[in-house]
Amino acid sequence: MNTNTTQLQPSLIKLLLAIAGLLIIPHIGQLNPLFVSLAFALLVWRGLCLYYPKLLPNKWLLLPLAILLGFIVMKTFGMAFGRDASSSLLIILMGLKLLESRSERDAQAVIYMGFFVLITPFLFDQRIELAIYAMLVFFALLFALIINNSQSNSLKNPALLRICGSILLQAIPLMLVFFLLFPRMIGPLWSMPDEQSAVSGLSDQINPGSVSNLALSAETAFRVRFINQAPSQKELYWRGPVFWETDGQRWVLNPPRKKSFQRAVNWPEKTSDYQYTLMMEPHKQFWLYALDSPTSAPDKVSLSADRQLLLNTKLSRNLSFELRSSISRRLMQLNKEDRERGLKIPENTNPKVLELAEKWRSISAEPRNIIRQALQYFNREFYYTLTPPSLGSDPTAEFLFETKRGFCGHFATSFATLMRAAGIPARLIGGYQGGVYNQLGGFYTIRQADAHVWVEVWLAEEGWVRIDPTAAIAPNRIEHSVDASLQRLNGEINFILNPPDGIRQWAQQLNWVLHSIDFYWQNAVLAYGPEKQHEFLAGFGILDWQDMITWLSIISALMIGLSITVFFILQRPKTDPVQQAYLKLCKKLAKKSSTRLPHETSSNYFARIHSYYPEKVHQLNILNRLYLASRYGRVAGEKFIKAAAKLKI
Amino acid sequence: MALTLSQRLSFQRFTRGEAASQHVILNHRRIFILPSKAGLSLALIILLMLIASINYNNSLGFVFTFLLAAAAQTSTFYSYKNLSGLHISLAKSPPCFAGDKASININIREKNQRMRWQISASHLNQQQSFNLAADEQTILCLTAPVKTRGWYQPETITFSCSFPFGIFRAWSPLRFEQAILIYPQPIDSGHPLQTTIYDHIGNGHSSTTTGTDDFVGLKPYQTGQSYRHINWKALAAEKGIYSNVFSAEQSKDIYLDWQSCHNLSTENKLSQLCFWILSCEEKGLSYGLRLPSVELAPNNGHKHQADCLKQLALYEH
Repeated sequence: MNTNTTQLQPSLIKLLLAIAGLLIIPHIGQLNPLFVSLAFALLVWRGLCLYYPKLLPNKWLLLPLAILLGFIVMKTFGMAFGRDASSSLLIILMGLKLLESRSERDAQAVIYMGFFVLITPFLFDQRIELAIYAMLVFFALLFALIINNSQSNSLKNPALLRICGSILLQAIPLMLVFFLLFPRMIGPLWSMPDEQSAVSGLSDQINPGSVSNLALSAETAFRVRFINQAPSQKELYWRGPVFWETDGQRWVLNPPRKKSFQRAVNWPEKTSDYQYTLMMEPHKQFWLYALDSPTSAPDKVSLSADRQLLLNTKLSRNLSFELRSSISRRLMQLNKEDRERGLKIPENTNPKVLELAEKWRSISAEPRNIIRQALQYFNREFYYTLTPPSLGSDPTAEFLFETKRGFCGHFATSFATLMRAAGIPARLIGGYQGGVYNQLGGFYTIRQADAHVWVEVWLAEEGWVRIDPTAAIAPNRIEHSVDASLQRLNGEINFILNPPDGIRQWAQQLNWVLHSIDFYWQNAVLAYGPEKQHEFLAGFGILDWQDMITWLSIISALMIGLSITVFFILQRPKTDPVQQAYLKLCKKLAKKSSTRLPHETSSNYFARIHSYYPEKVHQLNILNRLYLASRYGRVAGEKFIKAAAKLKI
Repeated sequence: MALTLSQRLSFQRFTRGEAASQHVILNHRRIFILPSKAGLSLALIILLMLIASINYNNSLGFVFTFLLAAAAQTSTFYSYKNLSGLHISLAKSPPCFAGDKASININIREKNQRMRWQISASHLNQQQSFNLAADEQTILCLTAPVKTRGWYQPETITFSCSFPFGIFRAWSPLRFEQAILIYPQPIDSGHPLQTTIYDHIGNGHSSTTTGTDDFVGLKPYQTGQSYRHINWKALAAEKGIYSNVFSAEQSKDIYLDWQSCHNLSTENKLSQLCFWILSCEEKGLSYGLRLPSVELAPNNGHKHQADCLKQLALYEH
């Protein structure tokens, strides 16, 4: 009956195969399909061995196979072992280990690997759905451990399931304490190779068509909660990167120089400022978005002269920022360098474009009038569409004079070029416009579909002024958000026009609920990093990591102590009330007489002490009879308990 | 029974266990728990998961790492619960002969209405595992090789389990004070069975008992006599119960005498006597035992044999 040599039960192998499959599923679409399919193939192989045991490979086959697969992984990823390489290697190793598993110890090792594989998908994605899914798989892994160690040959075992469930539930409080108090460190322990992950949202280059790719995406870019009042929908311009340089084809972002940060002025705080918390999703870029325009930069963020908020490193995790913005404009100086940058047009600009700008300027040299003319021009002949015809080598001219159909990128880039041609300094601003308000959670969700591009022009008396040519063509775009869920590639652009009714209203409310959950998930769980932890714990007076360790030890020790106490109280044998009353009575009687000897029955004892209580003999007899009746007869014990309590000495 | 501090902390208590009276209920005083080897490997995995989570500053990584660690901690309660409250007592263990295997019978009773999983009981190198359903009892039989006669004190019997996750081992060492009687090993050294034959007058002289089987006649059966001697033919013929009378029995009782194997060492003498007792009992003879210190009157039957063997087992012990 030695436990180490027992064969694995087929039911356990099936459970492990199912769990391994569930562990690999989240990696579909994240990892190289080759490795995902290899891992599944290994599982299928092991599954077939259940029915055809001859297929089970011996170690002379497995060892070269393992080396070969390891080599393929190394070959693909090189020596840099980042999250893709290690996840791929882990799922393959898990499959190999399953093929090799024969004993209880092997199964234990497979389950341990499973725990590690469980957290690898989170390196790619931390959505709440994935977390719930992982929790179910975690339960299954714990259950597999229990099955493995109880040698149960059936998985349908309610007692073991109950134990597994209660262990999981009881583990949660301790987990929470550790989650809150375990000191989080800023930055990785060692630098990881830069992963090839898809950058979401705006990139550091804008060509006319680049924004329309985002209009179909309902993915969240960031969320905003205003502390006081919120500006109106059409004022919600979320300002991001500022583009100065263009080569005629596209606009390129050049990081601001050091001087630009020195020139940046913090505007004085005013009561009319909007204060808000902005929760960024990791977008793998340096810049932040802020309501046009931010007055100052929060901690660890720098403000440039063109009022971009920039981080030191690319944002790779959820972070939240406390920001302040003012929508009233402030007069600024335009230095010579910026004027030159804002007027520079590429040399290969089509003469027709220059001609058009010149024509407007000849009518009126006043910049305001030129801008009005340009907007009127757009409004007259242009058409706002999500699927504009593709443009060739000279996109500005082609758009302005031939196709005349475009999305915000087309309008903004050509407008900026025209302004520069007309002698008005202009720059292109990337960002988002609008946002969907969640009434339940009281916050705005800004989605990728809200991505927008507009222009800022320099007016001598007013400074940099925001001009949004898209608003001239499609005012709906600015007043309502694009409805990404209804968007079709070749259809009309749909806007979220309120109020919806009937089923759509229900759908909207459900959507609010889901988004609110996601909001709190992002805000409380995913964004809980070093900064948020510091902020949260500072409220309790826990300031540095030494404090955290101290409190972590104290609280977890207290919790374990408490659970031990509760455990032993629950374990204590329950004495029945009749027996308790009886023992109490004996104690009471013993005061005047002698104590009851351990071997004495109630009849013997009461008879013995008759002499001490001559006047109570009758009562004692009744008590004795009641006691015996409750013990051996069918009389309820309450009678005895009452009578025993009544006895006065 | 309270323990002094030094007793409480003594290492022996963890390995060999406290001395146990006949009946023990496993409780926190007797159950100890430490991570097993598999538990240490899990700790390593948790550490790796923690490093990965720190490195990528991954909140959900932290959640599941801590959840696993917390679940591991919680599982200690269930390991403990799996052992605690078991009623364990040594069942009567039959005496055996030196050189054989003594069987230690352990009675295990579950009275707490809980299923118990994969508990193993080990004694020396021998181990047995069992499951126990709620309110069930079982008798485990562990064997131990015994070499010398006398009282055999079983070593520490350790009950252990690594349920539910296999990462903690809860164990309870029990040292029962009950001993098992070990008879000498029956060895025939080739000595002829020298019996001291007593006539009614009491003058003893030695003679061999070759004539034991000579049938002499019948006499009425007396209760207590061996069934082998019943004359079945007479019984079948409904003449009543008679027993056969053999020549050796008629007038003489056999005395298995210490003195008759004078040229052997003490242990060999005891082994020889043991052999004779077994063979006499088998043949249904009435025999007595005479040791330097004690003398048992001739008789036969199971109880008499046990008495004689016990005298041998405990000779000069």
